[in-house]
Amino acid sequence: MTTLSTLSRRWLLTALLPATLLSQTVQANDTRLHIYNWSDYIAEDTIANFQKETGIRVTYDVYDSNEVLEAKMLAGRSGYDLMFPTARPFADRAIQAKLYQPLNKEQLPLWGNLEPGILKSLADIDPGNQFLMPYMWGTTGIAYNVDKVRAILGDDMPLDTWRLVFDPEITRQLASCGVALMDDPIEVFVAAMAYKGTDTSDYSRNAITDAAATVSAVRSHIRYFHSSQTINDMANGDLCVAHGYSGDMLQAQARANEADRGVNVEYVIPREGAVIWTDVAVIPADAPNVQAAHRFLNYLLQPDVIAPISNYVAYANANAKATPLVDAEVRDNPGIYPSDATRERLLVLKTPTNAEARNMSRTWTRVKTGR
Amino acid sequence: MLKRYPLLIVMLILGYLFLYMPIVSLVIYSFNESRLVTVWSGFSTKWYVELFNNKPLLNAAATSIKIAALNATAAIVLGTLAALALVRFRQSRGHKSLGVMVTAPLVMPEVIIGLSLLLLFVAMEDLIGWPQGRGLTTILLAHITFSMAYVTVVVQSRLAHMDRSIEEAALDLGAKPLKVFFTITLPMIAPSLLAGWLLAFTLSLDDLVIASFVSGPGSTTLPMVVYSSVRLGVSPEINALATIIIAIVSTAVLIAGVIMYRQEMNKQKRL
Repeated sequence: MTTLSTLSRRWLLTALLPATLLSQTVQANDTRLHIYNWSDYIAEDTIANFQKETGIRVTYDVYDSNEVLEAKMLAGRSGYDLMFPTARPFADRAIQAKLYQPLNKEQLPLWGNLEPGILKSLADIDPGNQFLMPYMWGTTGIAYNVDKVRAILGDDMPLDTWRLVFDPEITRQLASCGVALMDDPIEVFVAAMAYKGTDTSDYSRNAITDAAATVSAVRSHIRYFHSSQTINDMANGDLCVAHGYSGDMLQAQARANEADRGVNVEYVIPREGAVIWTDVAVIPADAPNVQAAHRFLNYLLQPDVIAPISNYVAYANANAKATPLVDAEVRDNPGIYPSDATRERLLVLKTPTNAEARNMSRTWTRVKTGR
Repeated sequence: MLKRYPLLIVMLILGYLFLYMPIVSLVIYSFNESRLVTVWSGFSTKWYVELFNNKPLLNAAATSIKIAALNATAAIVLGTLAALALVRFRQSRGHKSLGVMVTAPLVMPEVIIGLSLLLLFVAMEDLIGWPQGRGLTTILLAHITFSMAYVTVVVQSRLAHMDRSIEEAALDLGAKPLKVFFTITLPMIAPSLLAGWLLAFTLSLDDLVIASFVSGPGSTTLPMVVYSSVRLGVSPEINALATIIIAIVSTAVLIAGVIMYRQEMNKQKRL
């Protein structure tokens, strides 16, 4: 979830790095645990049950963006024992800056419950899965208003495709009813590359220029670029097609169903491939209560603990043993738990270098302003 | 006069609508049955019930109000002192630089204030061991820093327009400067102190960026919870909480307004 521009994030990184060198590890202490996570990104009774079982007093604080989390990590001595950043690019950069401590697998006997596929997808940024424990994961795909899109494109047109947002012939027909893209250069360019069938890990100048041309070709048919406004607009039927995170788009679907005004939203993972994102649990290098953090992580590894969390937040968890325990409503939703065939086509976002990120931001501004 | 300018009345009504319609609709939708904040589906108080069962949200609201009240009180004291120095010691050499430094937070971007304070607190902890970790204390210190600037401006303008002859008369009659300050100056600038207190309270309650940077374990404020819940969907519980806060704040402002009006009336009578 990117809000600050990539450029200013880079700047934060360099500005804050010296501070981390000053901080030191504090003595372990087992009676308290400080968790830092998104609001409501856990089941309502998880913390209470853990406190009852272990007697450890838990404080649960919330942040509103990965950037705030990153800034606090870089400043050092944040005081938190467990955090839940998005793997790419945030955890990736933090590992490089040596901000996390390796997980002690001896204290995590249930580690084997994790899905090997998800662990493997993180191995390139975290070799040997030393630092990151996958928590929840999802995709970046397309949501569409079933009735309106079918009325325009007919019943035969397949809708699980990036053509809905990148094929000028199709977007021209959908333009009047509303097409929105995310305001996120990497997500949009990689989606455009997937649509064209080119290498999605190639961030060279030429590749980005090509991807930008794909977006520019449909620019006049795009109503707006925004990463979260789409939730309400899809739910109210003000938009026909939106590019967005699975969690957001499924939220739009749930709200549309709740409002019961005949708006039918469907989320699909395009057949050409879509980006997979993973939120991970990490222990900061200077965490005060390392033992308690490990106990909580092992608690989360229990299938009967993580399954209710998936039910509550409606995201897929990374625990293979928990899948049968998840409510059928969540488990059978292909937007949350995609089929094995779809999962094979999911793409991992490479973290861009400074130069690549700058080039992407500049190109993105040009595309958005239509110049 | 109003009768002759119907256009003025229309503009006035439009202006009020522009300012207060969003708040009115927020209050109305807090009684909405549906989870959607844009679709009306029937009257219900269920979001108020849910709010009172939502411990994290209530805790955050309590934290925010506590910080805001302490912040406003401290900012009033420091801001008044700064305003006094700025108005009464115009000849002193430090006058210009004090003025610039005190009011700098007014124009500084919040991100910069937040980040520099965060770095300062971390460096201080390493050097002198205080403040230990970050939490309520650091948020409070940060908020006082920028609230003080606003209070200074408010109190300064009142002080500048104050009639000094009354103070001089008191001094002539043998009152000590401290006594003059508490019995003459303070009562005369009281309305601006009240206004400054309310302003500082609101600014602190409202602040997300600076607090995010300098908060620590166990010090989540209300704006953090509200913005953080965007990830998994905002519920009308927040409307319900906002409605309660609006009710409390408007009562407080109303009382403050009545007090200020009475004082103004008394003053005019005396003159």
